[in-house]
Parts: sequence; structure tokens; C-alpha cells
Amino acid sequence: MKRDVLSALARLALALFLLMPLIPLAIWSVAHGWRFPALLPSELSLAAWSYALSPVSGVVGSLGLTFFIAAVTSVIATALAYPAGRALGRLRFPGRSVVLVLVLAPAVLPAIAVALGLQGLFLRMGWTGTIWGVVLAHLIPALPYPTLVLTAVFARFDPHHEDQARCLGARPLQVLLHVTLPAVLPGLRTGAVLAFLISWSQYLLTLSIGGGKVQTLPLLLFTFATSGRNDLTGAVAMIYVLPALAFMALLLRQRSKTAPLPNRTDR
Amino acid sequence: MLRILAVVLLVAAPAEAQTTDDTLLSGTWDQIVAEAEGGTVNWFMWGGSDQINRYVSDHVAKRLLADYGITLNRIGVADAVEVVNMVLAEKEAGIDTGGAVDLIWINGENFRSMRQADLAFCGYTGVLPNNVLVNWENPAIANDFGVPVDGCEVPWNTVQFGFAHDSATLPEPPRSMAELLVWIKANPGRFTYPAPPDFTGSAFVRHVFIHAAGGPENLLGPFDQSKYDEVAAKTWTILNEIEPFLWREGRTYPTTLVQMNELFANGEVAFTFNYDPSQFGLAVDAGIFPPDTRSFGLSDGTLGNTNYTLIPFNATNKAAAMVLQNLLLSPEEQLEKAKPEVWGAAPAIDILRTSAEVQAAFAALPKHPSVVAASELAAFALPELQADWLTAIEAGWRAEIGR
Repeated sequence: MKRDVLSALARLALALFLLMPLIPLAIWSVAHGWRFPALLPSELSLAAWSYALSPVSGVVGSLGLTFFIAAVTSVIATALAYPAGRALGRLRFPGRSVVLVLVLAPAVLPAIAVALGLQGLFLRMGWTGTIWGVVLAHLIPALPYPTLVLTAVFARFDPHHEDQARCLGARPLQVLLHVTLPAVLPGLRTGAVLAFLISWSQYLLTLSIGGGKVQTLPLLLFTFATSGRNDLTGAVAMIYVLPALAFMALLLRQRSKTAPLPNRTDR
Repeated sequence: MLRILAVVLLVAAPAEAQTTDDTLLSGTWDQIVAEAEGGTVNWFMWGGSDQINRYVSDHVAKRLLADYGITLNRIGVADAVEVVNMVLAEKEAGIDTGGAVDLIWINGENFRSMRQADLAFCGYTGVLPNNVLVNWENPAIANDFGVPVDGCEVPWNTVQFGFAHDSATLPEPPRSMAELLVWIKANPGRFTYPAPPDFTGSAFVRHVFIHAAGGPENLLGPFDQSKYDEVAAKTWTILNEIEPFLWREGRTYPTTLVQMNELFANGEVAFTFNYDPSQFGLAVDAGIFPPDTRSFGLSDGTLGNTNYTLIPFNATNKAAAMVLQNLLLSPEEQLEKAKPEVWGAAPAIDILRTSAEVQAAFAALPKHPSVVAASELAAFALPELQADWLTAIEAGWRAEIGR
């Protein structure tokens, strides 16, 4: 009983912590004239929202584009991370730690170095200014996260379960669908969401590889934030942040529902 | 196979681009309009104002599509320097045709960078029919911060530096640089300026520099080291004298104009200033500045400049970009964007060269109460200094004031 109360309080605190920065943004998005020392805006206006939602601003189209790029990046990154994570988690081979460091490298290297180096390469290949070029570029910072999550998941995964299924006559596809995937599903989901959020928040890579033609939401947001338009920044920021928060909330719900991983049997 | 194809394309493309460029430079306007039809212009421009965005994406784009069958794709950027770097990167990667950028809203240092790196398409401006409305005899139009335009860009707006104050708290602002310097010392903590190389802060420092020189006369023309040393010494003395009386005792300066605008909006400082006074009106309409914001020029003059549109050397759709430039120069569009409810930007064409109706319409334009009239500013206009002076003054400020 006491534990339930504590856990509810902890959840509430976490939710508040996540939502707090959004409150001033939400107020700004409907404020017309909010100057020091007023605690609240002198007038409310929907002008910023009506601009943000009008076709002129391109925000709605940009939201769809940002979502598409993040979703494709997430699917490809997770698909690539699955075999990599399995190999790194299960096998002990020479040079394994070197591979791990290399996998981690994009998450550690400064983004500007990656962006500048990639831009020249992508320009020569003719991939700049295209959505697929941007997806390819986003894969670089996104890949380490699902790979590391799946490495940890596969390290705890007992392949004897697969052997058992095979002994009972399951074909490789059946083993994958009925034994392996259900066991690693929470890890796959976590990795996919992390890759999605990494792509969702890219600014520099999108700007340099997209050449301005692939206008994701962070690019639009930055334009308004740097020109002192707090009302427009607030409205666009809400449109930008809410889907990401919804995605995280979905993940947390799913996580608490799913069963814990099968424990590695003692040998 | 693909590799062979790529080599063929790479070899063939520049030759083809060359002939197209020649048609654009020597062909008739009708040929250019015909070639432009059905094309798309990717116009990269500062995107921080919803009103300017709306004017371009709504009004200009609709006219361009209806009259010429050209699609306008406005791409908002935070700073034009991003676009300059983009074109530079393309040139370094050997992309001489089919570049991503068709048109840039540009001036000043960014134009100089593009000229120095040979990134601009040049020599075509005479082909635009509305070019006759531009007074190229005016040195402030023919030179972009002292760099000759040389047919490499087309003027869009003219602006002149103005100061803004809140008339509710400060009814009578100082009207000359000398009075302003006295006011700053009498009102500690109520004034500041963005640290150069911020565009606007740098322009403020040039006003002090010209004041220290006793006028702009000796500063025009190419950079003169001995003249600079003499005037710079006086300038740093003035700026060091006022420093303790600035916002936060001058221990720190805002780094951007946006930061200073915020200080002004919140009443922390009594003034803000802008190279484009129509921005004061836009800020009041957006609820950022207090409604009683008023603006003014200095009796010893304020600096003026022109901003332009430029086609990069490797633009994919030069013909369509030229048609757009010509449309922007037309009397109707220069009038449209001059309306205070649209933007309030002063024209880059010579109004006297337009029809009587257009002249009357310009004369009848309502004035935004927060925006000082362009004619009032123009009575005391200072010419911009050449780019080498700017660089020297910015470097001097960093060494002497911004340590």
C-alpha cells in the first residue's frame, strides 16, 4: 500500500518534471504582449496558432515530414541493430570491445564534426537536399541506441529456448516469431523509440544534409526562436514536443504491461 | 554503367549550363519568361517574421504562379550566412550546376563573401524590364556596404537606421549622438548595445565612430590606416567613458539584437535600435514592444543601406529566379510591401520613375505610429562605410572594449 503511494508520487513528480518547461511555452503561444513585470499576458490571442496551423507557415507539412523521417530512421536502425546486438550480446570474439567503441562513437563525437564531414561526401554523391539523404544521415547518431539496448537484451537472452523449440520441430521462422522476438520485444521497442527520438531532435545534420530543402520542425522552430518571436516559438514548440511526449508516454505504458525478460538459466 | 553515365553527365552539364547562362544574359525578356514557365524557385530568406513570410508565401507566390506559371518555394533560414556556406560547400564539391539555392535575400558581409568566393551569377540585371526603375546612379544602391554591386544582385528594400523608445516612460528622447552620450551618463543602467560583430551593434558603434570623426566626409573611400588610428582612439575613449553607465555597468553586453529587444520590451533599457525601423512596427503589432513605442533618427544622421536578392552561380532555375526578381521590383509589389499592415519596407526603386497613380498611392500610404517616416530619416542620411572599415572597427572594438 505504502509502496503504491510512493510509486504514484514518483510518477507524478516525473510527469511534472517533464511538463514544467512546457507551461511557459503554452502561455507564450497564446500571449499577446507579455512583458516584465506582468505575471500573466495582458491579452490573449490565437494569432500564433493560426499562423502555425496555416499552410503559409508550412508547420503541419513539416510535422508530417519530421514524423516520416523519424519513423523510417527508427525502423531501419532497429532492423540493423537486431543482428548487431545479437552478435555483440551473445558472442565473444576478438576485437569485440573495439566494435563496441566504434558503435558508440557517433553518440560521443560532436555533431558538428560529423555534419561537416558528411556534407562534403553527400554533396559529391548527390544525396543532399533529399529525404533519403537525411534519413541516411540520421541513422548515424540513431544506430548506437538500439544497438546498445539489444546488446544488453541479448546478453541476458538464453539461446537454449531456441534450441528447445528447434528440438520440438519448429522451423527457423517459427523460432524467430514465437520464441526470439517475444523475448526481446521490449528491447526492440525501447531501441526503436530511442532511435525515433534521436531523429526527431536532429538539427545540424538535417540543416547540412537537407540543404534547407528538407524542412523538419526543429529547423522551423530555430528560425522563430532566434528572431525573438516567443509567441510563434511557443506554438511551434508545442506542436513539436507533444508528439514526442505522447510517444514516450506510450512507451512507458507498454513497458509496464509487458512481462519481464526470461532469466538466463544457471549453468 | 552508372559510373559511365555519371561521368558523361558531369562532363556534359557545365557546357549546357554555359549556353543557358548566355541566353539569359543576351536573350530577350520574352525568351527568359518562356524558359522560366513551369519552373520552381527555391528562395532562401531569413524566416523570423510571420508577416514577411506571409507576404512572400501568400501574396508573391500566388502572383508568380498566376502570372508566370512559376512555383515559389520559400525556405526560411535563421541567418543568410547559412545559405552562403551552403553554396560555398557546393562549389567546393564541384557542383557547378543544379545547386539547391535559386535566390537569396542578402546584403553586406554575406554579399562580400559571395563575391570574394565567386559564388554569384552576375551581369544580368540590365535584362530585367523593371531595372529601369532602379536609380543605379545612387551610390547607396550601386554599392552594397561599399562593395560594387556590378550586376550581381537586384535591390529589394532600402532601410535606414532608427532608434526606438517607449514614449510612455520617456517622452522626449535625445535627438543627436552628442545628446545621447550625455543622456547615457545621466541615466545609469538604462542603455546598452549588442556587442559587435552583431550586425546592429556594429552599426551603432559606427555611428559613434562617425561622430568621433566629426562627420562621414573623411571616412568615405578606401580604408586609411592613419585616419582610422586617429578616429578609433577617440571612439574607444567615448565608449570606455560611457561603459560604467551602461546596463549592468557595462560588464556584459547583449550578444544579439534579439536580446536587446527583449531588454527594451521588459523596460530594462530605454532604447533599442534597428537597421530597419519597420521592424519596430512589426514588433508592436506582434505584442512584443509596448504599444507606445515611437522611433526617431539622429539630427547628425543615421546610416542607410540597401538589401538585395542574389542568384548563386550554380542555381538550377536562374530564369525563374530572374522573373521573380523582376516581379519584386515592380511598382505594384514595391507598393504592396510598403503597406504598414503588410511589412512597411521602404522601396528600392526610384518612386519618381513610376506612374502618377503609383506615386500617389505611395504618398497616401498610412503611417505606422511606431515607425519613423522614411522621408524624415532620409533628410539626415549617412552613407555606409566600406567593408574594410567595418572589419577594422569590429576588430578594434573587440580589442579595446569587449575584452
